[in-house]
Amino acid sequence: MIRARWWGPFFAIGLALAVTSVALALGGYDVPQALGALWRGAFGSEQAIASFTLKRSVPLLLTGLAVALAFRAGIWNIGAEGQLYAGAVAGFTVGFVGGGLPAAVVIPAMLAASLVAGAAWAAFPTVMKLRGGTNEVITTLLLNFVAIHLTAWLIDGPLQEPQGVYNETAPLPESATLGTLWPGTDLHVGFALAVALAVVLWVVFRFTRVGFLIRAVGEGPEAARIAGRVDSGRLSAGVFLASGALAGLAGAVHVAGVDLALYPGLSQGWGYTAIAVALLARLNPLAVIATAIFFGAIQAGGTSMQRVAGVPLAWVNVIEAITVIGVLIAARGRSRSGGDAGAPEAA
Amino acid sequence: MTDREVRAAVRIRGLRRTFGSVVALDDARLEVRAGEVHALVGENGAGKTTLLSVLAGHLRPDAGEVEVDGASVFGAGRARGWSTRDAWNRGVGMVHQHFALVPRLTGEENLSLGVRRARSGWALPTDWVRERVHRIRAETGLEVDLSRQVEALSIGERQRLEIVKVLLRDPRILVLDEPTAVLAPSEVEGLLTLLRRLAGEGRAVLLVAHKLDEVLRVADRITVLRNGRTVLEADRAAVTARSVAEAMVGDAEALDAPQRTTVEPGEVRARWLGRTDGVDLELRAGEIVGIAGVEGNGQRELARALAGRETAAGPGGSGGAPGRIHLPDRVAYVPQDRGREGLIGSFDLAENVALGHHADPDVRGGPGGAFLRWNALVARTREMIHTFGIRTSGSRATAASLSGGNQQRLVVARELHGSPELVVAENPTRGLDVAGARFVHDQLHRLRRAKHAPAIVLVSTDLDEVLALSDRVFTIVRGRLTEVPEAERTREGVGARMLEAGEGRAARAGEGTS
Amino acid sequence: MIVALSAFLAAGVRLGVPLVLAALGEMVSERAGVLNIGLEGSIIAGALGSVLGAMATGSPALGILIGAAAGLLVGLAFAVPVVWLNTDQIITGTAVTLLGLGGTAAVYTARFGATGAQLDVPQLDRLRIPVLADIPVIGPALFDVAPTVYLTFALAPLLGWFLFRTEWGLEVRAVGEDPDAAAAAGLPVRRLRFGAALFGTLLAGLAGAHLALAYAGTFTENMSAGRGFIAIAVVVLGRWRPWGVLVAGLFFGAADALQYLLQTLGWDIGYQLFLALPYILTLAALGGWIGRARAPAALGLPWPRTH
Repeated sequence: MIRARWWGPFFAIGLALAVTSVALALGGYDVPQALGALWRGAFGSEQAIASFTLKRSVPLLLTGLAVALAFRAGIWNIGAEGQLYAGAVAGFTVGFVGGGLPAAVVIPAMLAASLVAGAAWAAFPTVMKLRGGTNEVITTLLLNFVAIHLTAWLIDGPLQEPQGVYNETAPLPESATLGTLWPGTDLHVGFALAVALAVVLWVVFRFTRVGFLIRAVGEGPEAARIAGRVDSGRLSAGVFLASGALAGLAGAVHVAGVDLALYPGLSQGWGYTAIAVALLARLNPLAVIATAIFFGAIQAGGTSMQRVAGVPLAWVNVIEAITVIGVLIAARGRSRSGGDAGAPEAA
Repeated sequence: MTDREVRAAVRIRGLRRTFGSVVALDDARLEVRAGEVHALVGENGAGKTTLLSVLAGHLRPDAGEVEVDGASVFGAGRARGWSTRDAWNRGVGMVHQHFALVPRLTGEENLSLGVRRARSGWALPTDWVRERVHRIRAETGLEVDLSRQVEALSIGERQRLEIVKVLLRDPRILVLDEPTAVLAPSEVEGLLTLLRRLAGEGRAVLLVAHKLDEVLRVADRITVLRNGRTVLEADRAAVTARSVAEAMVGDAEALDAPQRTTVEPGEVRARWLGRTDGVDLELRAGEIVGIAGVEGNGQRELARALAGRETAAGPGGSGGAPGRIHLPDRVAYVPQDRGREGLIGSFDLAENVALGHHADPDVRGGPGGAFLRWNALVARTREMIHTFGIRTSGSRATAASLSGGNQQRLVVARELHGSPELVVAENPTRGLDVAGARFVHDQLHRLRRAKHAPAIVLVSTDLDEVLALSDRVFTIVRGRLTEVPEAERTREGVGARMLEAGEGRAARAGEGTS
Repeated sequence: MIVALSAFLAAGVRLGVPLVLAALGEMVSERAGVLNIGLEGSIIAGALGSVLGAMATGSPALGILIGAAAGLLVGLAFAVPVVWLNTDQIITGTAVTLLGLGGTAAVYTARFGATGAQLDVPQLDRLRIPVLADIPVIGPALFDVAPTVYLTFALAPLLGWFLFRTEWGLEVRAVGEDPDAAAAAGLPVRRLRFGAALFGTLLAGLAGAHLALAYAGTFTENMSAGRGFIAIAVVVLGRWRPWGVLVAGLFFGAADALQYLLQTLGWDIGYQLFLALPYILTLAALGGWIGRARAPAALGLPWPRTH
């Protein structure tokens, strides 16, 4: 896999800051003011940390884990975005229908539904990859758009709020929303769930047999199959579906913890940013916590940068992109392992 | 052919090249004359490939002198680049061991690649290629298929295409790296005849090989490399097979194969029932069954089937699909491609041991055995490093950091752990130096004589290896197994049976089995 | 009915052409072994570049050229790391998409303000071919269109000739199939890949320019709307062949235009479903009849390979 040198992430962040500063300066912005706003917006206060940075990091953390899991096994799941939408819709629907039940029943049901829906959204690419070797990059990518449009259609049609005026659903009942984790802020318990999952995933990779075999399939698919007698097809399918499930969970957690209703365009491209999150963490689940918070901070800080220094929010994307390219350059020389990952026989 | 023309086409002196702390070449010397077939021989790891890479412009030497066609290309005051292109322009044409052909292009397209006759890059040099191919056929009798895609050609056809590709540029010095390794015996004869003819035209032909008998049949002169040094330069007439072999190995004793003892075969450990021809393969404890065949005749599929590994899917299998198989529980498998199929380069040694042992209850722990006991695995790895003499910095070093021989030791150590009932070894000594090959052979012998001996299958394209080690010998041709009767177990006898692999001929239906 | 059909065809061509342009470029890039998921970034940069260029020079033709150059510029951010530094193609491509979308949005807001004032952009006029344009139904769709459309139709045979009838084309294919063998034959693998990848982004920039100056008549944030990703699917659908890509791209455009046709016919079952339709059709095609097409063997792999 991508095994950056240890200084890779620092190089990348440094590069991103340097390039961003120059670009901001060229754009005529007050660089110290802008970067200062970025920092304060992200970490300047308890509210900034909890209600903005950490809250925004939750979907990034969950999708980042989904991507890290898949990539570890050499599966190029670019479809976390679509899987997130599928999970959001399923989670919302269960929460809305079962709103009368106590939270202890509804919430787990919602989360379970989102896991299933996310996995289901990954099922077609999984089958295609295993059956014909169709490149999962293309299938997962296309399904993202299908998920986004279908969600929009549902919100505009069957799931629209009762008056049929606004382009959104009715709000979730109280019992179907996630509680607060950090009193006095907007940070919901989804954050704790995501962190716990990161730790679990880390333990799986580090200590368990199945985690070891997943790494083996990702690093040396042939050796895993021949020397390790791993049924790599089944393992890959399981990982692919689990990755979809994690991304789906991100959708439900976001709806139940932040939006409390379904809106079209509910994700700000988290499923794509997740690739950067996972990569910057070198696919290490514990490090994903840190990188997800880093990207959450950039997004939180970006808002404040726009407000204070007039820097358009789109700069956030630029910073993220440069960070990713920086990481890749720092990790260069290491290629994606496994011949089959990059060169599909039939695509 | 000896003194007709003494002009040196290639003259190399004092060549030295190191890779890190490894000395690949150290005072290598080579002189190839126009109009001769010159054989460069040596064991694996003797430095042949490095020397060729220098000659082809792929590698820069650390020191020494290289002259091509009378002009110095490297040496005193000439340390500038000597690139692949320069090598061509000087008339050095190289036929690589791994063909440099693009599988999904046609023969003609492959021949057109990089010709750049029309420097514009627009018009394809089709006419030029066809005319040249025609002329080469007239001169040398080389037939190539221009219209089909290379992936549809047989190995022999591909090699001819590769040779034609090099001849297109009319090289004065033709270098062939292990050209016979992939060929059936019948094809080898054709190639050797061709080489003589090419030399007869006044070209210098440098043949790199490790099969002595072929070399001695065709060469005018011979250079032997050992440990990066030239240890022998002589006319063909002045040497014998024995003297060349001694020069290669540097140790007459190593030449003598370990004494074989007759072992009474034990119980049947595995059984493979062939599909249509009714050839059953019974593998008995304490017996080495050798399976010889030219590459691509289904032995890979057979080896994997016998090892209980899934067979390779997809086209290209030569009808070697398994029949019904009965296998024991503990099967060890030493795959041919250890770098890809045996080990994971980025994993450390302990992880690579875990790769084969992850199902072993002794290394599993926790609820349901879901966890791996890394302490136990590391201890096991250390033991293997010690017992099998694996040279490494420790169990946490990556497999990629090991030399080829030590990688193979690791694979063998892992697979033989825990007394397997069946051992399947596929070209287990390919690419190993003498010591490495010796180690593998010793291990197979030790196993055969062990108290609870497993059944052993040796699948190899190396006829000598099969003949030297096996109690029973089979050939495999197009996926069909045939047992070789005791009386015919000679190079010639077995070679003749492998010859069935020649193109376009129907396989002989299992004669000679009863 | 005739009017609706004619409008449907015209819309299909209008929507299909940017896809075909970008996909033809991507096809050349992929033939050389470079999978550019960052096409989207080049398309959006091409759109913004063309608008800025046309406004600055007053000439839509120059705007188109500047748009293509902008696509190339973003393409450099992809091709340099991928070809020369061997970074992962898929991840670099994803980042370059982000860069393109974010960068254009940032420049656009800086230039025109957050609300996006009504832009006064010189349009690329249609070029009407007499007689042919009068053919019923297909005439207006094919022969009364922007010059970029004619260019697109000319590019397919041109690239077919290039890939299969010239030495350059042969070299590009060789590099995408087996870079090691190509290198052994003396080909400059990286330079060829670099060139092919950049050519791809040039066409992607052109696609964006067409989108802005000949189709939408303005620039809006995210106006590329995933076309870069669809173009990659179009290449697969078209089996890496110029005519196939042309047909697949137009098919996709037609699927996209279907919503207008069906809406005119009074079938209003939610436009979002129609938006999803082209993607679903492509997935169906991938799962069905396209399943066996083989990608260039070295597609997506860095070279030289390191171990």
